[in-house]
Amino acid sequence: MIRHTTGRLRSRAPHVAFSVLAVAGAMIVAWSGVAGVSAQRGAPPGPPLTAQQGAPVDLTGTWVSIVTEDWRWRMVTPPKGELSSVPVNGEGRKAAMAWDLNADNAGGNQCKAFGVGGIMRQPGRLRISWQDPATMKLEFDAGTQTRLLQFDRAARPGVEKTWQGFSVAEWEGPGAGRGAPPVGDTRVTGGGTVAVPGGGGQGLRGGPPPRQQAQINRGGDLKIVTANAREGYLRKNGVPYSEQAVITEYIHRLPTHPNGDDWLNVVTVVDDPRYLAQPFYTSTNFRREADGSKFTPTPCKTDPPLPVAAPARPASR
Amino acid sequence: MGSATVRAVLLGGCLLALAGPAAAQVNFSGEWTGRYHEDQPDRVPGEEPGDFSGIPLNDAARMFGDSYDVGRHSVLEEQCAPYTMPYMFFGPNQFRIWQQMNLDTQELVAIEMHLGTYQQHRTIWLDGRPHPPEYAPHTFMGFSTGEWNGDILTITTTHIKQGYFRRSGVPASDRTTVVEHWMRHGNLLSQVTIATDPVYLTEPYVRSQEFVLMDRGNQNWLYNCEYANELARDKNLVPHYLPGKNPWAGEFEKKHAMPREGVRGGAESLLPEWKPGAPAARPNPAKNGGFSPAVLPQPLPAGEVRAVKVQGNVYLIAGAGANIVAQVGEDGILVVDTGAAGRSDKVIAAIKGIAVDKEIRWVINTTPGADHIGNNEPVSKAGRTVNGNQAAVVAHENANTRMIERKVPDGARPYNTYFEPSRDFPFNGEPVILYHDESSVDDADTVVFFRRSDVIASGDIFRTDSFPVIDVAAGGTIQGEIDALNRLLDLAVPSKMLQEAGTYVIPGHGRISDEHDVVWYRDMLVIIRDRIKDMVGRKMTLEQVKAAKPALDYEGRYGADTGPWTTSMFVEAIYKDLAKTGAPAAAGSAGAK
Repeated sequence: MIRHTTGRLRSRAPHVAFSVLAVAGAMIVAWSGVAGVSAQRGAPPGPPLTAQQGAPVDLTGTWVSIVTEDWRWRMVTPPKGELSSVPVNGEGRKAAMAWDLNADNAGGNQCKAFGVGGIMRQPGRLRISWQDPATMKLEFDAGTQTRLLQFDRAARPGVEKTWQGFSVAEWEGPGAGRGAPPVGDTRVTGGGTVAVPGGGGQGLRGGPPPRQQAQINRGGDLKIVTANAREGYLRKNGVPYSEQAVITEYIHRLPTHPNGDDWLNVVTVVDDPRYLAQPFYTSTNFRREADGSKFTPTPCKTDPPLPVAAPARPASR
Repeated sequence: MGSATVRAVLLGGCLLALAGPAAAQVNFSGEWTGRYHEDQPDRVPGEEPGDFSGIPLNDAARMFGDSYDVGRHSVLEEQCAPYTMPYMFFGPNQFRIWQQMNLDTQELVAIEMHLGTYQQHRTIWLDGRPHPPEYAPHTFMGFSTGEWNGDILTITTTHIKQGYFRRSGVPASDRTTVVEHWMRHGNLLSQVTIATDPVYLTEPYVRSQEFVLMDRGNQNWLYNCEYANELARDKNLVPHYLPGKNPWAGEFEKKHAMPREGVRGGAESLLPEWKPGAPAARPNPAKNGGFSPAVLPQPLPAGEVRAVKVQGNVYLIAGAGANIVAQVGEDGILVVDTGAAGRSDKVIAAIKGIAVDKEIRWVINTTPGADHIGNNEPVSKAGRTVNGNQAAVVAHENANTRMIERKVPDGARPYNTYFEPSRDFPFNGEPVILYHDESSVDDADTVVFFRRSDVIASGDIFRTDSFPVIDVAAGGTIQGEIDALNRLLDLAVPSKMLQEAGTYVIPGHGRISDEHDVVWYRDMLVIIRDRIKDMVGRKMTLEQVKAAKPALDYEGRYGADTGPWTTSMFVEAIYKDLAKTGAPAAAGSAGAK
């Protein structure tokens, strides 16, 4: 399993006497604890923020996948046995070579290519909304799939495994849970400018303040860990992941591009001790759409694969 | 309260303020290597020719790609050329990142990167500095500035050399701007690159890559490349395919049974609803814009004339029409060209501002063009030779003849002319060598080489703002122009084997350049010449040749529909030149297939 640590610097204090540091450190810890549960610094302690209220970034909306990567494996169904790029092990290879689209269709397994391990790579639209303040909903029009992201740690998976599995989510980053303005606040949706002190954003030093900070966020992303999923396909042509797979995703809403485009970047890491020799990393980019009018749910359907490629000749430099 | 107690309380307060609500700045330092779980056959072994899938490219890029022969990397000046920034992170790569801190304030000044692939170095400035002006040189890695958006480091890179979005020949122009976003999750670094290229893309091209922290580091940090011709052949041969003659065209889709429309790329093919036969996306220039002026190469404000040191004793004076070059030292000031008429006060002020105690001794004209000689007289009068006369104006004798024909006043014409293929003299402790080509853009041009400073003033033989203005009536020929560029390539030497900097070439118009920029310009002219030559050989009329758009893949960069030198005029000049001479076999044409 890969190690997903925080990777952040947590202190920028200058050199001072150890005793002073210790005292100050204790004060910081105490203060931070308060800040973590109150809505605003200086405000009286209140009820804990919901996941929706504590969102450091607004992910909601309709996003369309822009297929600039793996086009030849995402926009068409590649030939059986086309495993390039995927670190399958021997068992995974064997399973991929045994793929039978007709058998899937006949056996009611048409959605194996639309499960949690492969759905992000399906060309389509992704609609993100809040089902309730502790549950985010991801809807995919490709295969008419829905995934619920549980922020409530008390939530537990059902008995049966599903195509989309059971997902727990948490906000990451400096803005997460720290009195973030509620979703819909103009400061996080683009209607105004967040005042960011001197360089680096979020009160940090090092770098100028963002010029177009208005567009998105106070710094943060969404981490999702999914398990309890049915076996499915990483690629349309039956490259498998197993029920043992754990899928970790990081969803980033990127700062608005100068031309006005808003991008969503989803990093997906599939750990599968059964079919993969090492974690499988992909990242998928979605562009925000003005509305949901193009969101068109379609049933799980995989086109027949292309014929097996002719032998390759030496490639370019 | 004692003073010690007060200090402790104040210090504690300061610490609280510093460590307040979001003391979390991502540190990307470490040694990273790529994971190639997307497009692996393209990214590691290399793309197959003719695969443009997944790229929002335009017809100009397709034409470039269809003409591309991978043998072009055998051209001497291309052998060790690195990939440019828009591609670099897509291919095999490992890199080291470290932070440059201000020692006094401990603020982050810049993030430094050393890339093992092609031994490239990047600095991402975080100190708020603007991007350089338009006249600054371009490099393979470009000029980068960063800003934080929470945990995301957003980087904007400009001043990138021309290169490729795919190493199978999908071009990226030197007007590309790349916005990157870096995100770190433990030992995983995600990088999104969004490239905007108004020359070859209809909309920004988004990609993302993953890198993992190397537990044991890597020893593969150097790139040993030595360019050399290993076969006896014309070193100026430029391999390429004539339109319709690429034998590999269509191979990719046939081999993989892929839909041809998808393999040809285009923005429309990137959307989920795309199907073969979908109409092509319309170019949308608005999609390529929006950048802050602070991050784009900007021209000088109207009316501003500025002197900029290039290297050694040599300066560029920009903003006065054609580029002016000044070489400065103990002997005084040598000026190459004087710009367009009407700005003499500013030109003289800029020149004298470089060395207030020195006299202008010489003025050399690279061409008789009005935008190069417009201030000859006042600049000359502002100077003084050692004999006490006004500064001497020097040019090739053909330039003087052309000026007489164009009724340039006597006071603005050369006092000294030369007639040989070259002439040299010492000035300010370095050899100054003048080269004349009998027929390049015309019959009157001079190239000035400052040998110790290692700077060439090319005149209009090389320019980065347009196709060369080949004046056939004044003796210009396409072959002569190519030969003149080949001479520049012979003179220029990069600072390292990796094809960057070293000899700087100041073009007649446009930005400071180096050998790699000249070789792309030369390659372009060879390719366009070969196409038109082929058409002339097939007895196509001028109108038919123009309709075939033999310069389409470069029009977006160097062409124009209006103004004094349009693409149509450029094509016509080459056509008439080649038709006049019967389109003979020319050096370098053996590269056309």
